[in-house]
Amino acid sequence: MNNDLSIILTASLVSASCALLGCFLILRKMAMVGDAISHAVLPGIVIAFLVSGSRDSVTMLLGAGIIGMFTTFLIEFFHKKARLQTDASIGVTFTWLFAIGVVLISLFAGKVDLDQDCVLYGEIAYVPLDVIITQGGINLGPKALYVSGIILIVNLLFIFLAYRKLFLTTFDPAFASAIGISTALWHYAIMGAVSMTTVASFESVGAILVVALLIAPAATAYLITDNFKMMLALACLFGVLSSIGGYYLAVWLDGSIAGAIATISGLLFGLVMILSPTHGLFFKKIKAVAH
Amino acid sequence: MTPALEIHDLTVAFDRKPVLWNIDLMIPEGKLVGIIGPNGAGKSTLIKAMMGILPLSSGYVKIFDKPLDDIRDRISYVPQRESVDWDFPASVLDVVLMGRYSKLGLFKRPRKADRDAALECIKKVGMEGFINRQISQLSGGQQQRTFLARALAQQADMYFMDEPFAGVDAATEKAIVTLLRNMTAQNKTVIVVHHDLQSVSQYFDWVIMLNTRLVAAGPTATTFTSKNLETTYGGKLTLLTDVADLMRRENYPSREENIIQP
Repeated sequence: MNNDLSIILTASLVSASCALLGCFLILRKMAMVGDAISHAVLPGIVIAFLVSGSRDSVTMLLGAGIIGMFTTFLIEFFHKKARLQTDASIGVTFTWLFAIGVVLISLFAGKVDLDQDCVLYGEIAYVPLDVIITQGGINLGPKALYVSGIILIVNLLFIFLAYRKLFLTTFDPAFASAIGISTALWHYAIMGAVSMTTVASFESVGAILVVALLIAPAATAYLITDNFKMMLALACLFGVLSSIGGYYLAVWLDGSIAGAIATISGLLFGLVMILSPTHGLFFKKIKAVAH
Repeated sequence: MTPALEIHDLTVAFDRKPVLWNIDLMIPEGKLVGIIGPNGAGKSTLIKAMMGILPLSSGYVKIFDKPLDDIRDRISYVPQRESVDWDFPASVLDVVLMGRYSKLGLFKRPRKADRDAALECIKKVGMEGFINRQISQLSGGQQQRTFLARALAQQADMYFMDEPFAGVDAATEKAIVTLLRNMTAQNKTVIVVHHDLQSVSQYFDWVIMLNTRLVAAGPTATTFTSKNLETTYGGKLTLLTDVADLMRRENYPSREENIIQP
């Protein structure tokens, strides 16, 4: 497969997954929890790596998934039991876990085939190099492409099947519990999905920029539509557009692909913020002048 | 006759500080019940505890003589309007359809019957002109009607409402009261957290007077007395004068002699 295409495809699949979950994070006012999880899964990845001794994606996903849930639990715990403000408890939790991850990587640098730069900033340019080759010697294409594809399918299935529960527990948790729908269950389910997706996105965009993919496309979609399903679709669209645009920007500038993708998603947000027909600053100004 | 709702020895504490203390009460079926008390008396906490969405420190709640988890699909809830984010990307129909979710299985989608039920409830609250309107573009009264329609769509037997009259216009308030009256006429029990003392005797058949402890509970005519009001709102001078005014206007003291103290 063509190198450009496999990079763009991987980035698009990753950003679509992130965008879908981002919509829920934003509406639950938990955008920064996404940030926290994306950083906090680092020790999970390293420990899974040290235990299993392989960069096998399933082990990594499991390790990160567990730590992701643990992060959510810790944040809730500090907030409820220690009566710390939510933002403070997020700040304490994820920096601490992330730091442990950094220490672990530097401690075992010799044994671990994990690079700090790669973990922080991602290296999507290497995606085409890590291919799956069958025993017969047939090249099946890049591994990251399969991983991100599977993650997207899992996320789509999750949202499709549990759409109503997620919608209700996000909009009105008190009503949901009154009619017997467990808000805690769906809270942790979403956080689990965020953890998995973050890890899958790690190799391509890294721990820092994955936050941009989680929040920016969803926030952009939120600005233009009043319909939740539409918001999910538009968020995916903006994610994919950022990936394509970002790739070509990076080629043109000869710079970091992940950085360029996040830059484009930020630019798209700015454009929509100004030009959105319903909520945009530009049209509001025109309407104000017209009156 | 078994009571619709029975609470025994209920205590709820936040951070080891009791918000509700040793509440014992029962409510008969088919009544329109008002919960009144000063700010911080635990009114919202009481209905949340009744629905089991808050952990109880002690005591139990039985609805229709069954533990809560067995009758979840027979109760419904109208939360305080400010408790949700009205900028949420959802339409009036989306919100009202949520009332049907408890009737659907885990992964089932709403069918035409559910949609029809939702539309009918929207009509009942007079919102048929706003079905596809995004909820942030509704007035306070319309938002409250939407919440009410969602509760109706659930076709429950017991309804808990947290200040449904807060911030609504007079027309909406009147429409809501009529609706609640119709519901109790069909033997549904409606429990309402209420703020406005002036309208209590006009609206409610049954009243629960609360100030961390239960002051009194019973039929409005015999329970909503100046003596109980003083105990409930005791110490709040401005309120006391309000209450005194109210008493004078409504000629309450003449009835007071007939009250049998519990």
